[in-house]
Amino acid sequence: MLLYLRLAWRNIWRHRRRTVIVIIAMGLGLAMMMLYDGMIDGFQQAIYGNAIKVLGGNIRVHAAGYAEKADSLPLLPIANDQTIIQAAQSIPNVVAATRRINTGGLATNTEGAFSVTITGIEPEKEAPLSPIAQHVTSGSYLTSNDQDVVLIGRGLADLMDVQVGDKITLVGRSTHQQMRQRTMTVGGIYDIGVPTIEKQTIYISLAEAQSLYDLPNQSTEIVITLKQLGEEPPVMAALTPALHGDEIESWAQSFPDLEQAITTKNGAMEIFSVIIMLIAGIGVLNLLLMAVYERTREIGLLAAMGLKPSQIMTLFVLEGAMLGLVGVAAGFILGLILNGSLGIVGIDYSQFAGISDYMALISGRVYPTLGIENFLNRAVPVFIIAILAALYPAHEASQHEPAEALHYV
Amino acid sequence: MFQLLKMAYRNLNRNRRRSILSALAVSFGLALLLFIASIVNGEMQGAMQTTIALQSGDLQVRAASYVEEKSSLKWADLIANPDQIAAQIKSIPHVTIATPRLFASGIINTSREAIGVQLIGIDPTSPANAPIVHGMIAGSFITPDDQNGILIGQTLAQKLGVKVGDPIDLSANTANGNVNEQNFIVRGTFSTDTPSYDQSTIFMPIAKAQAFTATQNHASTIFIMLDDRDLSNSVAAALTSPGYQILTWQKMNDLVLETEQLANGYMVIIYLIVLAITATVIVNTLIMAVYERTREIGILAAIGMKGRRIMSLFLAEAGILAVAGIAVGLVLGWLICAYFARYGFYIGNIGTNYQFLLGDRIYAMLTLSDTINLTIVALIVTLIASLYPAILAARLEPVEALHGQ
Repeated sequence: MLLYLRLAWRNIWRHRRRTVIVIIAMGLGLAMMMLYDGMIDGFQQAIYGNAIKVLGGNIRVHAAGYAEKADSLPLLPIANDQTIIQAAQSIPNVVAATRRINTGGLATNTEGAFSVTITGIEPEKEAPLSPIAQHVTSGSYLTSNDQDVVLIGRGLADLMDVQVGDKITLVGRSTHQQMRQRTMTVGGIYDIGVPTIEKQTIYISLAEAQSLYDLPNQSTEIVITLKQLGEEPPVMAALTPALHGDEIESWAQSFPDLEQAITTKNGAMEIFSVIIMLIAGIGVLNLLLMAVYERTREIGLLAAMGLKPSQIMTLFVLEGAMLGLVGVAAGFILGLILNGSLGIVGIDYSQFAGISDYMALISGRVYPTLGIENFLNRAVPVFIIAILAALYPAHEASQHEPAEALHYV
Repeated sequence: MFQLLKMAYRNLNRNRRRSILSALAVSFGLALLLFIASIVNGEMQGAMQTTIALQSGDLQVRAASYVEEKSSLKWADLIANPDQIAAQIKSIPHVTIATPRLFASGIINTSREAIGVQLIGIDPTSPANAPIVHGMIAGSFITPDDQNGILIGQTLAQKLGVKVGDPIDLSANTANGNVNEQNFIVRGTFSTDTPSYDQSTIFMPIAKAQAFTATQNHASTIFIMLDDRDLSNSVAAALTSPGYQILTWQKMNDLVLETEQLANGYMVIIYLIVLAITATVIVNTLIMAVYERTREIGILAAIGMKGRRIMSLFLAEAGILAVAGIAVGLVLGWLICAYFARYGFYIGNIGTNYQFLLGDRIYAMLTLSDTINLTIVALIVTLIASLYPAILAARLEPVEALHGQ
């Protein structure tokens, strides 16, 4: 067996040029598939990533009992929020972990009363990540020492007919179910192009929320932002020991609609990727068939020297497997380089779309992920094709009369 | 030239399996491109068709001060004497339908919860209601003088647990700022295969809606359909008159249009990847073929064939491969698209807002321009991919090539 392995290895490198062509073809094909996978993830991030940030982060932690009453946004403080924050920040994929207070309330002025979600945030920590902060069109974003300042959406500002500097009244319940009311100044207006969200969500600083809702130094929600979508499960698992009964959920659980949209999109992309595999598979098959048929004479020689058909086939299958392995390895490295560098630089695909200033929720630049998750699904078929492509012509050639095979041109 | 093509054809025929496989790679590549284009196009056109048919129409005429988001019912924001105005609009060339509609936001109260809905007052006899009439699941369509009958979406009916004949407690804002409440009877349920629409829309005759919301003889909009959608701008110009705003479907559906453009940008990158894979296959196969045929090329060169002509021969081979592959790819792509155009892709309810109505199925839709563009791109990419192998063949030294193995 060792002899066959050595022979096969030598045979591969005897025809260096041919081997290099096959490896380049396999490598490029695999690398392209990795790029495709990485792009799909990247697009997902570009299209849904900001939406998820606006809606409430990749992972959210609430106090026990929250889920049951989630519709009414109960003010249940998380007992050990600081330790959870620290635990989350020590996980490598976590970009930020911030505290919030979330509650329902009414925003009123002379135009009427509008039911809204009031979210207390840590402005300095959220500013670099939040699409909201990046789309404040008039006035300014919050700061943590704001006094009676509120950030509202363009949609609500239009409804209530207010400008920066105008006053509105916020009504909400404190932890003790008493109504709390306070008149606040509109410090800024954000415009993300999605009226349903703009009408619904208004922001105040966490400190103000704590005093307004009687939650000194407490918070009701921890929002954890990750680098990429799809990294939630391991992070959630890593966080579990710090929780002590608190509830944790990923955006997929909080927003099943969004999850389904992504799943559907991925379904279509999966069909495309099967066809892509088919194309690459045909290429590899064709090349390897050529490579083996070219060696019909050599097979005749081996047969003339007394190798049995089964021995010849073993040799060729081994060669196919080796080529396959080398090709897959080349593809992996090439793919990593390709996706890695594009992942840093990003591709501005909005230029293909002919639009420059798109909705704030969708980013015009896509950063592919490494695309490793699917690599085995791609590499295994390519590897199998490599073996099969060696098997069939070797079988055919080994059945020939040695003399005939020797004459094959 | 003809001789070259004949030689190229014979060469390809000599290595039939390899030629077929190479052409097949091009075929699958093109078929995939067509398929992707048709799905994207189908999704967007579908969204556009649905949104136009159910929501925006081709044109709408509203009072100048009407703000859609507020769905205001103040008389000043509405169109007075809508029937008369609709009749006038109907007489303009290219207008096929003009019908008044009244929008109000309502709340359905059940013992358990309150669900917000959009209340639409329609003229039940108007052909503009065709998508609803065709989508009736149970019960019957409303009649113009029905005083307490409504139509509700099938999804909403299931959510509320009501069926035809059951009462529903509905409240809505009125023109003078009050809230009116009344029990209505579900006359029928409909499905437009657009989940977000079916779970939030209620229809009642416009006369009743006007009475219910205290908007006597006023309508929010005149809903207009044209015989040719592309004429929307010129018809809009003809309709212009002070005190009214004219909205075209392009303007009302800018979100759909922008998303469409964005999706196209996204797809360009996917196209490039598919093309790159196809090109990789072609380049490597041809390079391999050049090396395999080194001796043959040497003989051609030795009997006096010039480098340029050898290159042309290889390019001709690639050209034949490309044309054959493209022909098969067009048939294949067309078949796949035809299948999905007929049966569609089930996508379920993907949470969309009122500006972007997407059905629960995507139907592939292949346009002629996509087909032509992608075919040309596939041809060019294949030919470019064969350039390097052809140059390689042309550069071989005759003597060395003759010895080559």
